[in-house]
Amino acid sequence: MDLFLQQSANAVALGGIYALLALGLAVVFSIMGLINFAHGELMTISGYVLMYCGIAAVPFPLAVILAIGAAILAAIAMERIAFRPVRGSSGATLLVTSFAIAMILQMLFQNLISARSQPVLLPAILSESVTIFGLIIGVNKIAAIISTIVMLIFLDWFMTKQKTGIAMRAAAEDFSIARLMGIHANTVIAGAFALSGLLAGVAAVLWVSQRASVDPLMGFTPVLKAFIAAILGGLGSLKGAVAGGFLLAFIEVYLSAFLPHGMQEFREPIGLAIVVLVLLFRPNGLLPAKTLAAEKV
Amino acid sequence: MKKILLSTVLAFAMVTTASAETLKIGLATAQSGGLAPYDVPVVTGLKIAVEELNAAGGIMGKINIELIEKDMRSDVAQTIIAVQELVDAEVSVIVLPCDADPSLAVTGIVDEAKIPAISTCASSPTLPLIGGDFVFANFPGDNVQATVSASWAYEQGYKSAFILYSPDTQYTTLPLYFADVIKALGGSVVGTETYSLGQPDFSSIATKIAAISPQPDIVMTSAYEPDFPSFLKALRAAGVTSQVIGSDGIDSPTTFSLGKVGENVVFTTAGHATKGSELEKFNALFKQKTGKDSDTVFNAVGYDLIKVIEAAVISAGGSTDSQAIRDAIAELENVQGATSLITYKGTTGMPVRQVSIIRVKDGERELVGQPAPVADLIPAPRMQ
Repeated sequence: MDLFLQQSANAVALGGIYALLALGLAVVFSIMGLINFAHGELMTISGYVLMYCGIAAVPFPLAVILAIGAAILAAIAMERIAFRPVRGSSGATLLVTSFAIAMILQMLFQNLISARSQPVLLPAILSESVTIFGLIIGVNKIAAIISTIVMLIFLDWFMTKQKTGIAMRAAAEDFSIARLMGIHANTVIAGAFALSGLLAGVAAVLWVSQRASVDPLMGFTPVLKAFIAAILGGLGSLKGAVAGGFLLAFIEVYLSAFLPHGMQEFREPIGLAIVVLVLLFRPNGLLPAKTLAAEKV
Repeated sequence: MKKILLSTVLAFAMVTTASAETLKIGLATAQSGGLAPYDVPVVTGLKIAVEELNAAGGIMGKINIELIEKDMRSDVAQTIIAVQELVDAEVSVIVLPCDADPSLAVTGIVDEAKIPAISTCASSPTLPLIGGDFVFANFPGDNVQATVSASWAYEQGYKSAFILYSPDTQYTTLPLYFADVIKALGGSVVGTETYSLGQPDFSSIATKIAAISPQPDIVMTSAYEPDFPSFLKALRAAGVTSQVIGSDGIDSPTTFSLGKVGENVVFTTAGHATKGSELEKFNALFKQKTGKDSDTVFNAVGYDLIKVIEAAVISAGGSTDSQAIRDAIAELENVQGATSLITYKGTTGMPVRQVSIIRVKDGERELVGQPAPVADLIPAPRMQ
């Protein structure tokens, strides 16, 4: 029983990170119909900012703020430079554009920074662990859980109480009508990218605090997981992204924890088979967006 | 008129070949992608050696080295294209990428072209074995490294081991050799887990290890970045205090910057810069040439590779013929490289080189020892 609770705690912490990642993709998708595969590179940028801050002995809390800020700025720049010229193009064009950005950034990191992993100096407290109700939980896991909760509350407040957030929801439902109502397309889209940058930045800090290093290709795995989580939850639905993130994490952790030893090698295919199974019963994901068929720009 | 022109051209051509002999070395290595972290530092070291040699007039004072570089982009298909292009460019020696897996894809080509091919830093003993007569490695084999670390652990009184490996690549199965050796010595393996490369979370595996009673004396893995630091942090956070043993993949600055978590980790690698050693000299040369400190032994491994080729050309009597060079490499004995003495004679292409055991102490590297492995203990290469 203890083992089960312990593994569940592990899953919740991982689920939080997956949820943040999937939300980052979902925010942009809900408005533009674009899966931004360069989302992972926003995380890499945050990671490198953390690395340089560590070298320059910047206090960690300030480094975190700078890292998240860098991801937001990079996301806005990405939209302005790369996605605005192709706005309104077919989904395939947008997708290829996002892959191109990801590759260009990876090559820049490799050639301008280093092809090798760079160590990120982290406060020792992040490697500690505490015992709560008999469960041993790492401080970085607690940080992940708390950040996820804070981000979800913030997102909920932003989407329901803030003008830009409401405009974004309106745009997600029907962009043309929203524009007729006087909503600026540029503001909404730049807002969506800034929000996805914020989510990427927070996720990056949590991700890097686990692995203590940053390399040019770091963004690939998280964006893949986010993509699976977003599909599982229902593409374009924010609540779905959160649900998908947590479900994916629970599937992964429980399989790793409880699958018989001889079958561990097949953990990933089995995990993905479960995802497919869920999609067979709920083709549009767990909590599909009401506006799946809505017109995107 | 035409005749005169032709003969002048011919005469000119003859003069140029006679005055400047060149040895063409083709590099099909990763300048980008997942293998670049290993190939780029090796190639940096390799170029320092080439520059040094050419500045001294070349091999034997007369054979200049010309490098032809192709980026294989960490991709198997691209490796095949790159190697084929190098064969067409009539190089004498080919340098293959660090990992055994893409290198294995081109063994047929180099074998047919009869050009010796040396992997930058692949450590899987299966590579030269499957690759045939023309494929060589340039790193202490996984089975040798595992023998050295397991023997050391057993001597320290660590008898029960938990191993974590990944079936994804040849190198990440190194712990299976470790398990063989520790069992052969009389120790035991109390648990085995697998992981996938780039796995985001290791806490579920760490929780399982923490639940083993009694706790294993050793946790052994050949995971490298980003998996190794991630696993190690999760392991320590779960309360496991066993001795952690790794291998050359974690010979990286990150391992030394993990703070308390990284303390006391022990791993095997290709060399250590003891006072007055060749590696110390190389590190000074590296600093002089690049202005930076060498932060990984892979730089020196690249230097070694050129030293091996140089020694082979010399023992082939200055021949740049690829078959002659291949035969010479296979007979090389005690070539002085930057990391250690290198011997190919009597092997299947996996060189005999010194293995160093390193411990992380106060964030610095500490040499534990450079023991020679007991030959009988070294497991046979694991074909899979």
